[in-house]
Amino acid sequence: MIQFHNVFLAYQKDATALQNINLRIPKGEFVFLTGPSGAGKTTLLRLIYGALNASRGQVLIDGQNISRLTSSQLPYLRRSIGVVFQDFKLLQNRSVFENVAITLEVQGGGSKTDISKRVMHILRQMGMENKIALTPQRLSGGEQQRVALARALVNEPKILLADEPTGNLDDANKMQILNIFKEANVKGTTVVVATHDRRLIEHAHYRTIRLQNGELLDSGEVRNEEIQQ
Amino acid sequence: MTAPGAQGRLSYFLGRALTNIRQNVFVNIVTIGTITLALLIVSLFLLLFVNIENAADNWSEKVQVTVYFDKELSPQQQTDIKNRIQTLPATSKVQWVSRDEALKRFKGRLKGQETLLEGIRPEVLPTSFEISLKKNSRSTESVDAYVTKLKAIPSIGEIQYGEEWVRRFNTFLTFMRIVGSLAGGFLVLAVIFIVSNTIQLTIYARRDELEIMSLVGATRLFIKMPFLLEGIVQGIAGGVLALALLLSVHLLFLHNAGNFLTFNPATAGLSFLPPEYIAGLLAAGAILGFLGSLTALRRFINEINV
Repeated sequence: MIQFHNVFLAYQKDATALQNINLRIPKGEFVFLTGPSGAGKTTLLRLIYGALNASRGQVLIDGQNISRLTSSQLPYLRRSIGVVFQDFKLLQNRSVFENVAITLEVQGGGSKTDISKRVMHILRQMGMENKIALTPQRLSGGEQQRVALARALVNEPKILLADEPTGNLDDANKMQILNIFKEANVKGTTVVVATHDRRLIEHAHYRTIRLQNGELLDSGEVRNEEIQQ
Repeated sequence: MTAPGAQGRLSYFLGRALTNIRQNVFVNIVTIGTITLALLIVSLFLLLFVNIENAADNWSEKVQVTVYFDKELSPQQQTDIKNRIQTLPATSKVQWVSRDEALKRFKGRLKGQETLLEGIRPEVLPTSFEISLKKNSRSTESVDAYVTKLKAIPSIGEIQYGEEWVRRFNTFLTFMRIVGSLAGGFLVLAVIFIVSNTIQLTIYARRDELEIMSLVGATRLFIKMPFLLEGIVQGIAGGVLALALLLSVHLLFLHNAGNFLTFNPATAGLSFLPPEYIAGLLAAGAILGFLGSLTALRRFINEINV
């Protein structure tokens, strides 16, 4: 469960990025976070994975106030959260396989063989098993996003955050990525997708949280809370 | 991870560091080149410093105390006085100079004008003990204290030790060491600054990697280790290259530098750095690489909020 209680965030004294956000995303839900550029979508996501701390209020993940985590505790929170970006953030000098394996390597995820099995499994799911030795420069935008998704999902995180994940993709790739999100959600992962792509939102029919100028306009209705709880 | 456990982790970090070096050849060449140049400057300075110290040691052997006797000493008296002198802790070597030997030396000094000494008999010259002092007892204060103790020995005659020369020589040594330490200190600070900034540039070029590692849940130690090991490898490589260049320069130009800084032709030329300095330079390279990486990492890791 992700909870925001009266959260404010100001980068500078007179520049408030988020104002009085109250929000609840139950475990296993799929939500869209939408709003125009500069509305605060990315900031809200960054608060969830601990890249920013709230100026006021609390952000709770499974009841744990993440602004109280020490720098040595934060990595363990992040191991339960997968993050995907519009610009993919792949390591350009590493192969597809290495880009995905890094998640398991940093977490001390077993032997080389175990890591290899799990990486190959997720890459097969993404349809990337034939491109494991390529570096990201040799992949299309859609393929790069699937590698980024594989990296985010390979350790089966509890939460998947995506920041404009389809911003650089054509329609066919958008739907492919959306389907991967849906599959992860079906397996129990809470999915939060920040996007201003109306077609994507309309196509999926999930709860939509609307932000504007750092304020919550509408947080929609929690529809599948009972099912997951 | 090749294998679980500390050893597996270490081999993973080392493997990662070596792969990083291979994958970022240009930035590594720049970093290793900077470390090499920096250590070469330091090692040239050290070479000069070590040789000046050696020369100063040679010069300081001239700090000698001479005890003159107006009358001829019997062999028994000679032995007694010599033994008493040798019991003084600062004494290194005691040599008896007879009247005949004194005249011979005098003639030697007046080579070509020996006729001036015609008719002069050895008896007009005093006999003496020439005393060399141990290395750590050649300062002005030590020599003064030594002379006081010498005077306490019965039958000791006039004592000469070139007070003014000893004082000037020691002032010069002190001055040289202060200037050397200051210059060396500034040089080391400059080197740390330059190397640290170069490594910062290389880490800045790879800040995406730091960011991604932090995103997927790497601990600070896990993120830092490959970079720190890379810094150590770069530092050692820089140290080895600097020493190789220094050795080349030494063999080509400095090895045979005639009569440099010494009065003794047998020791002409600059000697190379002693083994402990070589080991020290390699260690300095490793420490430099490590500290440079650590400083740069601390900055970027705080920036990306790991």
